[in-house]
Amino acid sequence: MIVRRGPFAKAGSSMIRMVGLALALTALHIAPARAESTSSAPGAVVYFHSPLDGARVPQRFTVKIGLKEMGVAPAGVVKEFTGHHHLLVDTDMVPLDQPIPSDYNHIHLGNGQTETVLTLPAGTHTLQLLLGDHQHVPHKPPVMSKKITIYVR
Amino acid sequence: MTERLTDFGAIIRYGNLFALEAHVSVMAELLMYRFFFRVCFIIFATITLDPHIEAGAQQPAPARKPSAPNARVFFIDLKDGATIPSKIKLRFGVENMEIAAAGVATPNTGHHHLLIDTSLPPLDQPIPSDFNHIHFGGGQTEAEITLPAGEHTLQLLFGDQAHTPHQPPVFSEVIHVKVDPVTVEKTRTPAPAGASVFLIEPADGATVARKMTVKFGLSGMELSPAGTSKPNSGHHHLLIDVPLPAFDREIPSDLNHVHFGRAQTETEVTLTPGDHTLQLLLGDHEHLPHDPPIFSKVIRIHVADSPAEKAPPAAAAAGRRPAPPDAAVYFIYPTNGERIYPNSTIRFGLRGMGVAPAGVVKPNTGHHHLLIDVETPPLDQPLPSDLSHIHFGNGQTEKKITLSPGEHTLQLILADEKHMPHDPPVISERIKVTVKVIRPVRKRYRR
Repeated sequence: MIVRRGPFAKAGSSMIRMVGLALALTALHIAPARAESTSSAPGAVVYFHSPLDGARVPQRFTVKIGLKEMGVAPAGVVKEFTGHHHLLVDTDMVPLDQPIPSDYNHIHLGNGQTETVLTLPAGTHTLQLLLGDHQHVPHKPPVMSKKITIYVR
Repeated sequence: MTERLTDFGAIIRYGNLFALEAHVSVMAELLMYRFFFRVCFIIFATITLDPHIEAGAQQPAPARKPSAPNARVFFIDLKDGATIPSKIKLRFGVENMEIAAAGVATPNTGHHHLLIDTSLPPLDQPIPSDFNHIHFGGGQTEAEITLPAGEHTLQLLFGDQAHTPHQPPVFSEVIHVKVDPVTVEKTRTPAPAGASVFLIEPADGATVARKMTVKFGLSGMELSPAGTSKPNSGHHHLLIDVPLPAFDREIPSDLNHVHFGRAQTETEVTLTPGDHTLQLLLGDHEHLPHDPPIFSKVIRIHVADSPAEKAPPAAAAAGRRPAPPDAAVYFIYPTNGERIYPNSTIRFGLRGMGVAPAGVVKPNTGHHHLLIDVETPPLDQPLPSDLSHIHFGNGQTEKKITLSPGEHTLQLILADEKHMPHDPPVISERIKVTVKVIRPVRKRYRR
């Protein structure tokens, strides 16, 4: 992406500031320090429909999430073989025996969403998916995608 | 650091007028460039008309010519505090003195200087010549100027043949004007030759139901959401029952000019029964048509007054949960018209809502239902549960199904915890897929 460097160009920095807003989450989470893990379904896989690994994407793009062999349920809903998606942006895998943190790098899709719109600054970013149970704790064994790298132009 | 340096450069390049306006926006910057070149041209013209300007400017303190008693200069038809369009023709009046071109040393004459956004220069020296001090050395009494949006001041100052104000000086009062931002011409994005937009659906002359899907096509260019400045791209605008708007302005945003700023390629519109026209117009990141403008031909459709279409709103009462207006359910795989294997995983996409298993009461959620080879069921009743209406009550978002070879239709409907469709219903288009006849395994060719 070519950032305009002119006396009146200020677009770049404001876009970056928008990231914070775009990632704002509703998922509040009050969690015990250590929670019991829920078991996942055998053969469960969470994966990206889009973007794909190595994709070039605009600053604002939709992440579409696929889930195999399990169901989606909003946070707080206790039901066997269900969970809700967490999108980890530019971060390493979290400890798998604790609730997933909730911040700009750990986006909770607590209403059972299967896609979300992200706004990221230009550059290279990583995305990874992790399914969490009703208490935001990863399942046992964890259902996570591979970490993908995307290039935001 | 870089920005500071460039800012300083801006002050040098644009003069005070533009330094004041610094940091307004990128849009303003574009305007500035435009204005800069325009003013450059005016000054260039002035200099060409006036061979003596440099000789005059170099004299340190030339003798000032006396002005006539009661002499005055003024703007004709421009009042203090007026709101003016960006491009305006100013007319200058003078009383009790005569206009003469610069260099003509006739007594009681002079020529106009227009001061934009600046106070009076030193009156015992030649008037500077820059973007804020515009000379009319040819004896012009009117000029067309272009101002950026915002507030500006204008003042006239009479100068003699050497551009020096008279003794006593003859100048007008300061006029404050406000430039109406709506009238500011924006720089249009160029479009490549051969690019076109067209309506895929409905067809010209078609008779359609009140609620219809309109599909847009674009060739030779790319789609990009509004606000994303990218060459050779734009987003659709659907013009309903209106002629093409002005191409040098932002496309209006109202019921007749529907914007698709998220780069959508289809929409659902509800029209009153009768005849209507539809037309597409591509707009750039600022909703401005391209240069040349990319628009489709006008198509005429007839909307039939079918009673079936009126039924759903009437029945909407009975306990249906609301859905957000932008919610949509769609097939990630397969797509309409695709050829698929008999054992295929159907993948569901859901926008603007969340998935919840059946029985979970939570606003803006629901679970998927896959309808195979059946018409859309009534949407004011719970969805039936049988082999052609498959419920995904565990919150699944994909399902491997087995279909017999041949043509099939698939449709997705989201429904609430009691399998009742939402209001408005969140329902996908009914897609057609062809299931391939499977050949013996040994002959099967796989990538």
